[in-house]
Amino acid sequence: MTQFTLNGRPVEVDNPPDELLLLVIRDKLGLKGTKYGCGAAMCGACTVHVDGYPEFSCQLAVADVEGSEVTTIEGLSEDGTHPLQRAWVEQQVPQCGYCQSGQIMRAAALLSENPTPSRAEIADYMSTNLCRCGTYNRIFKAVEQAAQEV
Amino acid sequence: MVALTGASDLSRRGFLQGGAGLAFFLGAGGLTAVKARAQAGVAFDVNPWLTISPDGAISIIFPATEMGQSSYSTLPQILAEELDADWDHVVIEQLNEDDRGFGNPLFGGVLYTAGSTAVQGYYEPMRRAGAQARDVLLQIAARELRVPKDSLRTEPSAVVARDGTRLSYGALAALGTEDVQIPEAETLSLKDPQDFRIIGQDVPRRDVPAKSTGKAVYAIDVEVENMAYATVLRAPVEGESPLSVADAEARAVEGVIDVAVLPDGVAVVAESLWSALGARNLLQVEWSEIAPARGFNSEVTLAAYADAARDPQAEAAVWAEKGDAPSAIANAEKTLSRLYLSDYAYHAQIEPMAAVASVDPDGLGAEVWAGTQTQSWTAQTVMETLGTTQDRVRINMMTMGGSFGRRTAFVQEYVRDAVLTSKAVGRPVKVIWTREDDVKNGTFRPAAAQHLEAGLTADGRLTGWHHKVATPTVIGFFNPGRWEAVRPNDVISMRGAESKFYGISDFRADHIITERHGRLAPYRGIGAAYTSFAAEAFMDELAEAAERDPLEFRLDLVEENPRGRYLLETVAEMSGWRDRGDRALGLSFAGYSSSMAAGVAEIEVDDRNGEILVTHFWAAIDAGRIISPDNAHNQIEGGIIFGMSSALTERIDIEEGQVVQGNFYDYEVLRADRVPPIDIHIAAVDAPPTGVGEVGTPMVSASIANAFYAARGRRLRHKPFTRERVRSAIGS
Repeated sequence: MTQFTLNGRPVEVDNPPDELLLLVIRDKLGLKGTKYGCGAAMCGACTVHVDGYPEFSCQLAVADVEGSEVTTIEGLSEDGTHPLQRAWVEQQVPQCGYCQSGQIMRAAALLSENPTPSRAEIADYMSTNLCRCGTYNRIFKAVEQAAQEV
Repeated sequence: MVALTGASDLSRRGFLQGGAGLAFFLGAGGLTAVKARAQAGVAFDVNPWLTISPDGAISIIFPATEMGQSSYSTLPQILAEELDADWDHVVIEQLNEDDRGFGNPLFGGVLYTAGSTAVQGYYEPMRRAGAQARDVLLQIAARELRVPKDSLRTEPSAVVARDGTRLSYGALAALGTEDVQIPEAETLSLKDPQDFRIIGQDVPRRDVPAKSTGKAVYAIDVEVENMAYATVLRAPVEGESPLSVADAEARAVEGVIDVAVLPDGVAVVAESLWSALGARNLLQVEWSEIAPARGFNSEVTLAAYADAARDPQAEAAVWAEKGDAPSAIANAEKTLSRLYLSDYAYHAQIEPMAAVASVDPDGLGAEVWAGTQTQSWTAQTVMETLGTTQDRVRINMMTMGGSFGRRTAFVQEYVRDAVLTSKAVGRPVKVIWTREDDVKNGTFRPAAAQHLEAGLTADGRLTGWHHKVATPTVIGFFNPGRWEAVRPNDVISMRGAESKFYGISDFRADHIITERHGRLAPYRGIGAAYTSFAAEAFMDELAEAAERDPLEFRLDLVEENPRGRYLLETVAEMSGWRDRGDRALGLSFAGYSSSMAAGVAEIEVDDRNGEILVTHFWAAIDAGRIISPDNAHNQIEGGIIFGMSSALTERIDIEEGQVVQGNFYDYEVLRADRVPPIDIHIAAVDAPPTGVGEVGTPMVSASIANAFYAARGRRLRHKPFTRERVRSAIGS
């Protein structure tokens, strides 16, 4: 049994301890907003927060988060109105949208580390996350917009 | 007036009965015919294109599929515009069957979303359908108010009379259709674009909120009751099959349900993806070793294509011809010829291939959830796999996590595998490909070698152009039946080589159809992704040979294309082309289908590591009328970034039939820290829409190659311009 906190609620799962956190979140706990993209820490679609830090959930075993606080896109805000999410809608960032949960979670971690990032700092921090549709410049604008509100 | 026949008595009866609302149907006369009938609790025998409920909800069918391009929002906007609907009342419904009545006219009615054709193909039919439905509502209002129809006007979702009486569309839909007739589409005048309230406005995309909160559901997210998971160990080389399978260890893994042998792989079905993946690693499979693909090596292949491109005797199919290019070149003051190469490229859509299938107990029907670019071929794949009929196939077209051509094939293996494994275990099954599965078993933009030859007059003008493209047929691989119908014309392999935006009087483009040495598929920009690279890089080499500025040299060729000339002049102004000093700028003029694009790249080169950094990009685009300007901007910008990534790093190698690359660590896609500011000007023109999904991509490679020449005085003629190739070009 592994116990951790998911989006503020305690959870307990009986998955094998080495099973990927990504799969446990998606298939056992049913939160599909966190995506599988590469399984190799190369695309960031699976980004979640563990104790406030951005992590690739495809690189963690569920046992690694025993006792930790895990936050997914579903837990970033209660009703989808986190300043980043509002900025994502206002800037009309997503195209296919598949990478955007990970982008938003990554951006949220950036803003908690650095509430007023420069454009270059945003680009550098966000370069862990791929967007094949090429929405990067809109991501930059949305992060800048949200930074003014956070 | 169109007689109310066709799907006929039932429709007519329904139409005359009146009742709970209005439903508008496509008629047998084609996409421009619409029939109406009231919903009187009778099940419809055909899909309505549009329904209007008494509560005012207006439901519009979305006949394409969504992969990020936003047709899901833009197509219904077109119909809503002519209907004069309040966009907030519109509900969008995905078409989830192979109903050819909704097919794209540009694909002969096949339900196929590709080639930037959705808006282009559906623009007129959807406008006319909307106008017909609006006319029906006006007729009902005229009848109720006892006033002439032409005394009425519409405002969003309401008919308004001269005395100010307003009847909402919902109220009108409840009043029945007595004495109402469907007008012939041709008799209706469409809106003056100046009166558009939805088209050309920045109407937000419908799918953005769900995509910003993690709520959008992709095929990989679908879960149905009692579902199992499957992963497939695929043959290491195309054309091989499993001869024997030792699966005892795999079956012993907790949660494994079954191991199923497929034509080209071995599937493990388990209670969780984790169990399936773990068990797959334990399979021991002996594969056949007979496939010709074992001899495929991409370096050897490209060298052979280059030999074919250079060989004047090589057999070729004429792709486009005007005047007499060989004579013009023979008579030229000066001639130039060059060879350009491009490697295989992978789509790299971020959602891996995934599908869920639930096969019926009798094994002759199934429900399938998949993200693909075609309802038609997905339904076909299920039918063929089960040997069944269309009425037993239920498909759910899921929004896709990117595609770029990846999910276009006539036979969709991942759908097939979901069906076969579900049938094997008697439960719904979700098949997921890992990233490595998708790269190793990818279907690629083909490798190509291109030979260009052209002449120059004494005063430095172009005379005669001969473009030879040595590459296989893509259609012949991904849709062989289609190839039989169109051969030797392969638009996927050759698009762009027609250079149709230039007026070159003696012109020829040839397709040297080479042997296929890899799996192939359409790819964003299709042929233009490499033909426009070669053509526009060559154009700069010609300008240099003519001692002309690349812009002035091109302007000679657009004298009869004022819209194209405008783009070149505009992008020159945006980028400061004529005062560029020693900034390393490169110009390119290309496009996709009938959409045109002029671009300028500004670059810096790091001589030590060979890296090219694009520091700014300017683009001027003409795609006809723009339905949704903000989305068009997003699509074009994405297309440009896709083009940069493709120009700089993306490369697939094949050795002994196996793909060398495996994931994003060795197949590099452009990241945020390499993305420059991008300025885009979209021309405002009064012309039919021609598509924005791909227009940004084809110009980019040549603009970077041309900027590299400005920076370092060396030509890059092999795409992508990897660090090694750049270092080799500058001799460092």
